[in-house]
Amino acid sequence: MRLIYLAVLVLLVLSMQLTLMAAAASDEEDIENEITSRQFSLKVGEGVKIGDYRVELISVVSVMDGLIEVKVWKRVSEFEDWRVMEDHRDANFDEGAERGGLTLTVIDIFDEEAVRMRAEYRTNFGYPQKYVTERALAPKNLPKLEVSTTVDKTEISVGDEVKATVTVKNVGNDTARDVTIQDSPPLPQFRYLAGYPPKIKNQLQPGESDLAVYSMVAATEGEVKMPATVARYADSKSTIYSATSPSIKIDINPKRRPNLVLNVDPPAPIKHGGQGTINVTVKNDGDASAYRVVVKAEVESQGDGLELLKGSLDESFFEIPQGELETYSATFKGSRSGIYDVNLKASYQGDGEMMQKETAFEVAVLEREYKYLYYLPIVPVLIMSVWLFRRYREYKY
Amino acid sequence: MLNVLMLGIGQCGNRILDAVNRESFGGSSKLSKYYSRQKFPSRVETLAINTAVNDLKELKFTTAKNRLHVPNLHGVGANRSIGKQGFWDNREMIMEEIERRGDFDIAFVMTSASGGTGSSFAPLVVHELKERYKNITVVAVMVLPFREEGSIYLQNAAFSMRDIKEVDSDGIILVDNQYLKRLSGDIKTAYDKINDMVAERILFLIESLDSEMLSVTDLGDFKTVMRGGLGMGTLGFYESDKKTTSLTSAIEGSLKPGGLLYPADVYEDAARAMIIIQGSRDSLDVDEITKSVEKLSTKIGQVFKGIVIKKGRPKVLSVFTLGQVPDLEMLYAQAAQAIQDEKSRKTRAKKQLDDAFAYIEDLEEIY
Ligand SMILES: Nc1nc2c(ncn2[C@@H]2O[C@H](COP(=O)(O)OP(=O)(O)OP(=O)(O)O)[C@@H](O)[C@H]2O)c(=O)[nH]1
Ligand SMILES: [Mg+2]
Repeated sequence: MRLIYLAVLVLLVLSMQLTLMAAAASDEEDIENEITSRQFSLKVGEGVKIGDYRVELISVVSVMDGLIEVKVWKRVSEFEDWRVMEDHRDANFDEGAERGGLTLTVIDIFDEEAVRMRAEYRTNFGYPQKYVTERALAPKNLPKLEVSTTVDKTEISVGDEVKATVTVKNVGNDTARDVTIQDSPPLPQFRYLAGYPPKIKNQLQPGESDLAVYSMVAATEGEVKMPATVARYADSKSTIYSATSPSIKIDINPKRRPNLVLNVDPPAPIKHGGQGTINVTVKNDGDASAYRVVVKAEVESQGDGLELLKGSLDESFFEIPQGELETYSATFKGSRSGIYDVNLKASYQGDGEMMQKETAFEVAVLEREYKYLYYLPIVPVLIMSVWLFRRYREYKY
Repeated sequence: MLNVLMLGIGQCGNRILDAVNRESFGGSSKLSKYYSRQKFPSRVETLAINTAVNDLKELKFTTAKNRLHVPNLHGVGANRSIGKQGFWDNREMIMEEIERRGDFDIAFVMTSASGGTGSSFAPLVVHELKERYKNITVVAVMVLPFREEGSIYLQNAAFSMRDIKEVDSDGIILVDNQYLKRLSGDIKTAYDKINDMVAERILFLIESLDSEMLSVTDLGDFKTVMRGGLGMGTLGFYESDKKTTSLTSAIEGSLKPGGLLYPADVYEDAARAMIIIQGSRDSLDVDEITKSVEKLSTKIGQVFKGIVIKKGRPKVLSVFTLGQVPDLEMLYAQAAQAIQDEKSRKTRAKKQLDDAFAYIEDLEEIY
């Protein structure tokens, strides 16, 4: 777009120079071939007289898209041209200014009612003169449609379904005919399920509204700008109008899936012959429920070293909703010293996929502690003191 | 196994008994009683008897139950009459205490001859033992005083020796403090040394009598020796050191005056003798022993020989009784002199007092 602007600008500058040069040249040559350029503002229903040409602004089709509709005709001639003009693009009418016609350019679209334009024409056409068209003067019994498109959510994830509702309402005071809805071509980011393309009643009485609903499923992640929906309709004189809805932005997040996190709270080293409890927490950190969760433990060299007393390290849960957690525990008795590697494996389903998570930890069973060893030195000391005391008593007179 | 009774009476007797007990712990350490066990060669019962509690308290190696205080008397102050009375008053209690300790083959009654308690109790105890035990051999160990200790001690020694001779003991072993005084400068260490010597010899004797001897000597032989001569004798002892390992010199050493507890010329004065030799098997040669003893046996006839095989350097104990006791005679002479002196001093003093009283004869007290 910028390039186009640039080109237009260059063209403009060039043409201005050309005009100047032409003007300089025409001083000596034919003054009739001289081309002049004038700017003027127009309201819907207004016109401009330039020589025998009449330029009338029929409507502003879209402010956003920079489209207006103009009617250009020439007095006492066959020439009549209806055209939708694009902002900043030169349009030649009746073969353009060079050939004795008009070249029009939309410079600015102020709002739905007013634009600023430039016209190029032979200098001898004189100054442009504004006038009010018959249509503007005529009582306005016209249809006017309002279009809006809404979606039920603007932030979704891949795989989520979105419902779009297109509402068209006739807020004018005449029947809107030949109503058609033009949605932008199907967006690649969605799969369309039902109701697409949306259809609206052919005719809408003043005050009447209609809506069309369609649903689609997000297919790829990213930010999607749903373009405006355009409704076209005609009034009783088959004059064609259009209305557009504001555009909508939808964020599509990556697909939702459960994500289980296994957290093990292993026991402090278990004393020989003592007990230790292993607490397991299964948390769903994802954004979808995990189903059919099965946790299985493998204890290396299980046998008689670690004896299960209570509970189990194997567990299963039908569902762990997102953000929720489940805990369970198992109590073991350490009957042989050593380090036991425990591997916990959780398998679960989410959105038809099988997923797995693993975690490993160690349970240490300490060497047998000979506690009473500490008392051992006390025994001889005690025996000795008793012995000494008895001896002392025996000899104390 | 012999059943041996050892009585230590009076301070001196108590302390010798304590030395015996200490010796039996095997060490000379003061703390040996805390870590060691008494090892008597036989079944030995010891009993310390005294009228003075303080003397009993002073003992270290004699168990409390083996210290018998004879009540109501806090020492007899060297007065043998009070001592005798004390014994009579407590005779049953004392004898019961002894009899509770079972039957005995031999008893040693150890005392000083010069104190009050020991010297007065000992003859009576000997008598009681002889009465109460059928086949007992009772030997008195009498310690003679330093001669300079004073007339009372001398008197006591003289009279107690007579008393002990009168009761039918199986023999008296003399220990002379005066003779052994040379071993140490101060009295306290001299006492300790003498007591140790006595203890060592008596324990050696018991051990030997109770061992399988190579040459036959037994309690009967010992009794025979002790009953010889005047019925009193002494002990000689010699332990080989590194330099003198010869058996002959060891035997001779045990007979030399320096090895005796009482001064005597064994070759001249001895009536009967027994020589006990202890040593390792290879150090003992019967022929050599016979030869060494020959000199003595030609003088006094048969000498009983005991040979005990035991590891260590040769040790020799000689036991003999004497046919004459010149030193004791001298003691008696001194005692008699002392008594005489005492008597004349008393009469002199009496006379002086009487003279003094003469001044107030016929006078009345006036206030
Ligand atoms: N060899 C030796 N002689 C001692 C010892 N203690 C005292 N004597 C001597 O024994 C005599 C005094 O007799 P003691 O045994 O103390 O008197 P006791 O039998 O306790 O009689 P009293 O004290 O009078 O009741 C003195 O001649 C001292 O030299 C000692 O430990 N060893
Ligand atoms: Mg005393």
